[in-house]
Amino acid sequence: MRLRYIRRKCGWALLTLWFVLTANFFLFRIMPGDPIGLLARSQRLSAEALAHQLTLFGLDRPLPLQYLIYLKQTLTGHLGVSIISGTDISTLIAGRIWPTVLLVGVGTGLAALVGVLIGIKGGWARGTSFDRSSLYGSLLLYATPEGWLGMLLLITFAGTLGWFPAGGYTSSSGDTAPQLGDIASHLFLPALTLTLGYIGSFVIVMRSSMIDVKDEDYITTARAKGLSDGQVRRRHAVPNAFLPSFTLIVLSVGFILGGAIVVETVFSWPGLGLLTYQAIKDQDYPVLQAVFLLSSLAVIMANLVADITYGFLDPRIEEV
Amino acid sequence: MSKSIQRTALVLAGLVAGGLLIAAPAVADSASPSASTAPLVLRIGMTTGIDNPNLWAVNSPAEWGSLILQYDLALQFSPDLAAQPSVADSCDPSADFKTWTCKIHPGIKWSDGQPLTSKDVAFSYRFAIDKQFDYFSSYFPKGTTFETPDDLTLIWHSPVATRGPKVPAWAYIVPEHIWGKYANDDIDKIKAVNTVPNVASGPFIMTSATPGQNWTFTRNPYFWGNKPVYDQIVFQLYTNQEAMVQALKNGQIDIGDGFDGALLPALGAIKNVKVQKVTSDFWVNMAFNFGNQDTPSKPLAALKDIKVRKAIELAIDKQAIVDKVYPQAASPGETIVRPLSDYWHLDIPSDKVLGYDPAAANALLDEAGYPMGTDGVRIDPKNSNSPLRLRLPVSDDVNGSTSIGQLIEGFLKKVGIAVEVKPVTAAKMYDLQQAGDFDAYVWYWTGDPDPNYQLSVFTSDACLGDGHLSDGCWKDATYDSMFAKQTAEMNPEARLKIVQDMQQYVYDQVPVIVLAYPNYIEAYRTDQVAGLVPTPVKDGYLTTSYGYASMVSAHPAQQDAAPASTSSSGIPPWAMGLIGLVLVIGGWLVWRRFGKRGDDEFERD
Repeated sequence: MRLRYIRRKCGWALLTLWFVLTANFFLFRIMPGDPIGLLARSQRLSAEALAHQLTLFGLDRPLPLQYLIYLKQTLTGHLGVSIISGTDISTLIAGRIWPTVLLVGVGTGLAALVGVLIGIKGGWARGTSFDRSSLYGSLLLYATPEGWLGMLLLITFAGTLGWFPAGGYTSSSGDTAPQLGDIASHLFLPALTLTLGYIGSFVIVMRSSMIDVKDEDYITTARAKGLSDGQVRRRHAVPNAFLPSFTLIVLSVGFILGGAIVVETVFSWPGLGLLTYQAIKDQDYPVLQAVFLLSSLAVIMANLVADITYGFLDPRIEEV
Repeated sequence: MSKSIQRTALVLAGLVAGGLLIAAPAVADSASPSASTAPLVLRIGMTTGIDNPNLWAVNSPAEWGSLILQYDLALQFSPDLAAQPSVADSCDPSADFKTWTCKIHPGIKWSDGQPLTSKDVAFSYRFAIDKQFDYFSSYFPKGTTFETPDDLTLIWHSPVATRGPKVPAWAYIVPEHIWGKYANDDIDKIKAVNTVPNVASGPFIMTSATPGQNWTFTRNPYFWGNKPVYDQIVFQLYTNQEAMVQALKNGQIDIGDGFDGALLPALGAIKNVKVQKVTSDFWVNMAFNFGNQDTPSKPLAALKDIKVRKAIELAIDKQAIVDKVYPQAASPGETIVRPLSDYWHLDIPSDKVLGYDPAAANALLDEAGYPMGTDGVRIDPKNSNSPLRLRLPVSDDVNGSTSIGQLIEGFLKKVGIAVEVKPVTAAKMYDLQQAGDFDAYVWYWTGDPDPNYQLSVFTSDACLGDGHLSDGCWKDATYDSMFAKQTAEMNPEARLKIVQDMQQYVYDQVPVIVLAYPNYIEAYRTDQVAGLVPTPVKDGYLTTSYGYASMVSAHPAQQDAAPASTSSSGIPPWAMGLIGLVLVIGGWLVWRRFGKRGDDEFERD
């Protein structure tokens, strides 16, 4: 039964992937201007390079054949070239992936860790001053625009106090390799902004789950057996309440590759979010197409992992 | 996970983090290069990046700045933007100004040690002309040839009288031994060549490029001029101007280049920061479309009526635009030659100024036969009573363009002209301009100190072909004739009279409305850098604009100051120690709490 469950989930993921690829194909073709015209606008493509792109993607072939060629090229990692810089998009994106994973990964990870812990404590001790203050604080952070929050942190800690750099990935330049501490100091404020921006959702979800689970019969049974409050919470409540938060965490991991456009722009962090923003400004459709595909793929994979893992964590899911 | 492992992990994490924070200042300091080995670096914050370091692909302000640092002109800009010796010691014309003889300074070398000769100069010019790099080739009349009788002599042969070399010709000198191999390649392939580290003759050479982050220029060991003090100049990209303000405040950068006027109060409040408001060398305009492009789009027919265009100018309060969009950082616009070229710029006589006067605008439209419609929008009886509605795209590469568009909408509403403001990207604006798919738009112009280029974009020829420069394809035979006359006039005083007459003519004909002359704003830390010299000398640029003189003369404010550390954090040691101590104490408290509870639970179980 477990195998059938996994197969079913994989099947849906593949179907979703096909849908995304197809939508990506047509998206490029319904934008203003034809694809050949868009590529030809590039100031950085030689005639040979342009001809190579036309052949690679079959842009001069009938539409159904273009579609098949597009699927083949995309699945083999040929994502085209930027019409602004003429750079191969795979290379362009590769240089931005690590900064994005670092920033959004750290921000999401910290938000998940701290948010879940606060949610557990708040939900279990519902109505206490800790619960009220953490809930209101979470709601406030959840409602606060990330860009505004980032600017506030920037002005306070980078400008006024001078404790952190005001932007960028590293102070190193030239042939000097960036040092770990240097990157960490540049990472601190944008990561903190993301952590504070995301933490609210984890707190609220975990807290709600804990409140729901707290009144379950098996919790009453556990107490009746004489287990301590901490044991009941740790062994019975949290594992069951954690399931929705687990899904949220895994899906958040999937969104990492989408970058964080606002925070990256505020802090001049050279990630995929900033690349997306610049591509929108420059109408660099091939880059947008590639970033859209990458982030969609990440979300589909994360969703699949969540679905499969959920089945192991909660056997009842497989029986549905 | 058992509770003992949980508490152990938490406590260990706290201890490790605390230990790292306490030790971090020492580690960071030991990892930094020592004062004696670290290069002296000048850091300039920029708001645009360098997509392509190749000089033939130059586009953004940062890319222009990078060229100015690295490459020489035959004659360079003097402090008053005239021509002065550079790679060439002199360029002298024949009596008919058709032949110019330039003497190349002896002993100049490229950054790879190869000699720079007249053949490199000739190659550079021929390359720009043959490959039609318009930015650089426009200084050479059609049919110009070059002769190099020896390594130190370059002769221009022009079919017509030309001022070319003395403009000075803004065409960079490049090494033939590097670029010669691309002589038979097409323009797009040339632009795609990766050139870093570059080979050039200027004081600094780009030696590394980290796209989206920073670009490093290292001092050229073979530079023929005064040796710069700084070993390196770094362009650091900031995608957020407020962040650049904060970077200047905390000393992360020495100079910030290209601030919006709205940040003037913030800059003024920072200690040890001097703000440079550069006299405008560009202007924001509202250009009208005359529909002479060879495209299906048809602009509003009434705009061909000069009375309508004059009424629009009368209805627009330029001072209000300056006050609201560029507070303290602009002046109301007038003519098409920017104020920085103060020798050429014409101040319109007060009796000829079309000042803000909505009543006069309404009267003019009434007189011209555009009655007010029932919905408050005037109609054009000569065109089936169609309403006077303007499609007004505004380009996002003009600071405050959307606000300007909204202000214009409000002004024109009062005189019965409806405006549909549409913010667009610069890329989209280019497409609209090429297709003629607009009625009027808000964009900007910049140009050379010499007004020839600026004046040329209003000629009928500027509307020809793909990539045409003309805003709205205004075609006027009188103006074309005046342009040809100023091109052929070699006497500066006589030419000045023609150029000023042309400015007055354009002002009177209103093919465009010059809305504002925004200042360009730079700021620098007076306690970190000194020796910056503006170009032009009066309210000019401090960084890279018309030359590299400022970058050569720049030096640390304290000459024996240690170079800026590249350590990771600016957190003071006392704060880091305090945070570390809190984490250590916190970890100990957690240990005690979990330990006690764990023991209790163990006993209960």
